[in-house]
Amino acid sequence: MSLDAVVTYVVERLPELWLRTGEHLMLTGCSTLAAMFIGIPLGILIFRTTWLRGPLMGVIGILQTIPSLAMLVFLLALLKKIGVLPALIALTLYALLPIARNTLTGLEEVSSEVMEAAQGIGMKEYQQLMMVRIPLAAPVIVAGIRTAAVVGVGIATLSAFIGAGGLGQFINRGLALANTNLILLGAIPAALLAVVVDFSIGAFEWGLRPERKKDKKGSLRRLMRRLAFVLPVAIVLISMLTYFTKPGWISKTAAQLKSGNKVVRIGTKNFTEQIILGEMMAQLIETKTDLIVERRFNLGGTMICHGALVNGEIDLYAEYTGTGLTAILKHPVIPDPEEALNHVTRAYHERFDAQWLKPFGFNNTYALTVREADAKKNQWNRISDLVNMAMEMRAGFTAEFAERPDGYPGLRRIYGLRFGEVRDFDPALMYEAVVKGEVDVVCAFATDGRIAAYHLVPLKDDLNFFPPYHAAPVIRENILKTHPKLGDVLSLFGGLIDNATMQRLNFEVDGKKRKTAEMVEEFLKAKGIL
Amino acid sequence: MIKLTHIFKSFDGGRSYAVKDLSLSVGKGETLVLLGSSGCGKTTTLKMINRLIEPTQGIIEVGGKDVMDYDPVDLRRQIGYVFQGIGLFPHMTIEQNVEIVPRLLGWSIRSRQERMRELLDLVGLPAESFAQRFPDELSGGQQQRVGVARALAANPTYLLMDEPFGALDALTREALQQELLNLKKQLKKTIVFVTHDLHEALLIGDRIAILHEGNLEQIGTKKDILDTPATQFVQDLFTIKRPGTLT
Repeated sequence: MSLDAVVTYVVERLPELWLRTGEHLMLTGCSTLAAMFIGIPLGILIFRTTWLRGPLMGVIGILQTIPSLAMLVFLLALLKKIGVLPALIALTLYALLPIARNTLTGLEEVSSEVMEAAQGIGMKEYQQLMMVRIPLAAPVIVAGIRTAAVVGVGIATLSAFIGAGGLGQFINRGLALANTNLILLGAIPAALLAVVVDFSIGAFEWGLRPERKKDKKGSLRRLMRRLAFVLPVAIVLISMLTYFTKPGWISKTAAQLKSGNKVVRIGTKNFTEQIILGEMMAQLIETKTDLIVERRFNLGGTMICHGALVNGEIDLYAEYTGTGLTAILKHPVIPDPEEALNHVTRAYHERFDAQWLKPFGFNNTYALTVREADAKKNQWNRISDLVNMAMEMRAGFTAEFAERPDGYPGLRRIYGLRFGEVRDFDPALMYEAVVKGEVDVVCAFATDGRIAAYHLVPLKDDLNFFPPYHAAPVIRENILKTHPKLGDVLSLFGGLIDNATMQRLNFEVDGKKRKTAEMVEEFLKAKGIL
Repeated sequence: MIKLTHIFKSFDGGRSYAVKDLSLSVGKGETLVLLGSSGCGKTTTLKMINRLIEPTQGIIEVGGKDVMDYDPVDLRRQIGYVFQGIGLFPHMTIEQNVEIVPRLLGWSIRSRQERMRELLDLVGLPAESFAQRFPDELSGGQQQRVGVARALAANPTYLLMDEPFGALDALTREALQQELLNLKKQLKKTIVFVTHDLHEALLIGDRIAILHEGNLEQIGTKKDILDTPATQFVQDLFTIKRPGTLT
């Protein structure tokens, strides 16, 4: 990418970059602030109540060891809400440890001589604490806040998984679309942000230190101290400003919201095909109805999308019959596509007040996929051909596939397949891994454009193990009742896209790095439904 | 007046005593020096007077009232304390350090300021150039003068001084000792002064109490002690080591 291209790339995305940075700062700032309000009193409490120290620090320490994603998903389940709230709670919990611990350490480290003096001149206990101990511990406490904030900037990138926005959204989308530029567009500002946050809190602490006689009045140093003091405040204000002045299409949406129009919120999981389908549904609804679409794309996985749908955080997303059947309904595999669709339709209506609409047409089932060269050399055509060699092979699976009953566990049972080593990958990285020879077999999706583009070969499912995965829009019945037209509009997709077409569309985005919205518009116009 | 009656102090539940059966009194306007080597119980005795430490047994009276009947905070605010190793608050300016007790007592800003200037002048550190500085910008001797000024701030009747000049170099120490003698004459405070320095004890004390391993060896004026040492320990102290220092 030339410099010009980089500049254009960034400038095009500047409004969104502005918005995401604002969201990111908001997440980090609010959670750090909340953690200060909880953590500092907590630190003081355990300083004074020695027996509480072990248990409380233990609990906070354990919170810290919970992997960030697990924490987010757990909070999601607990709060039944996606978006900013669970992200803020998770970030606050993570920020608690450095702040509480540093508060405790800072208070403990104040010299006993000084404290004896404070007691000896006749300070009451709270006076000793407020006038001597806390001021002297302040630098250590601020250092804890600093650590918390910088770590917070990092962890906040994960909150995009549950639709809380922030710079992680670029990273997520970049991962989903195998687009390095997008990843960097999120990662570089996030790194810069961490540096800026660290610096400004450091400056704040410097400004907080008592003024020395040698800092003459009116000197530059003195002016800088003033500025240092204001810096974090300025950053918080700017972030709030950013957050509340959503630019570009976002402000347009907001304006339309105020005009009283109804909104449809479309979710997607975090891979290319989902985003393409989401965008298709969005564009169709935008053209054919007067509804406003809110795109809550890139949610981190099936359970998060499903949870969001059930709790009314999103109205609509594309789900696969096989996934609905086994992962959500925990039902055994139904090999017949028709029967599978009937079953999920019935069960979703009864249990989730949601409706399956007409499937798009393609079947995105799993396909065990190997390198073309290996397949030729070993004459692999069917999955059964692998059984004898499996122990010497390394497999790369998505985390979902590794656990789902219709994934690796089922494969082991039905085919007797046991791979020597199994590694978990992000869907986007899995293909890279097999191409680069880091693994030998992956669980590709049948419609993935990269199968053809990367010279990979899907093996025939000779025992008919993989259930059918026909994609269809799944929609909340509530919104269907208020806007019956939605059902008609979305059924225009019925049977529109076959496997080859879906592979091609996926590759347009994954391989050729085309912009999803543009490509989708072109496709829908060519099909004559837009 | 400060009066100690049969004071015992043990830090280990009675196995050993830091102070054993100590009785003494300090008259109004008198300076009593507690002299002894480290571990003899002199600092412990001093701290019991303002209840930083509480005696295991015995009665301590300040101004005719048992210290246990005082609120410890009130008691301490009435007694100026100069700490070993200075004990100024490093995050406060000299001005704030000196004003702290009047501030705790709720004096008006104006009277605090007035008092602060007066005291800094008294200890030879003019407020104009010193009030806004921080302790670490002063020499050890200057810091200890601030320590004395802080102890005097609320005009206490009693002054407890715990080896105030111990950490200073010989020249500074002598200068400060002379200044203290002048202050004593001016202020007429009741002072209990702890030291391990024989010379200092003889110079400053109206009376001297010699402590050894928690026992009171002898109490009396300079003349009493030099002319009629009560125990072998006291005699050795002044014959072998004079005019040296106990360590």
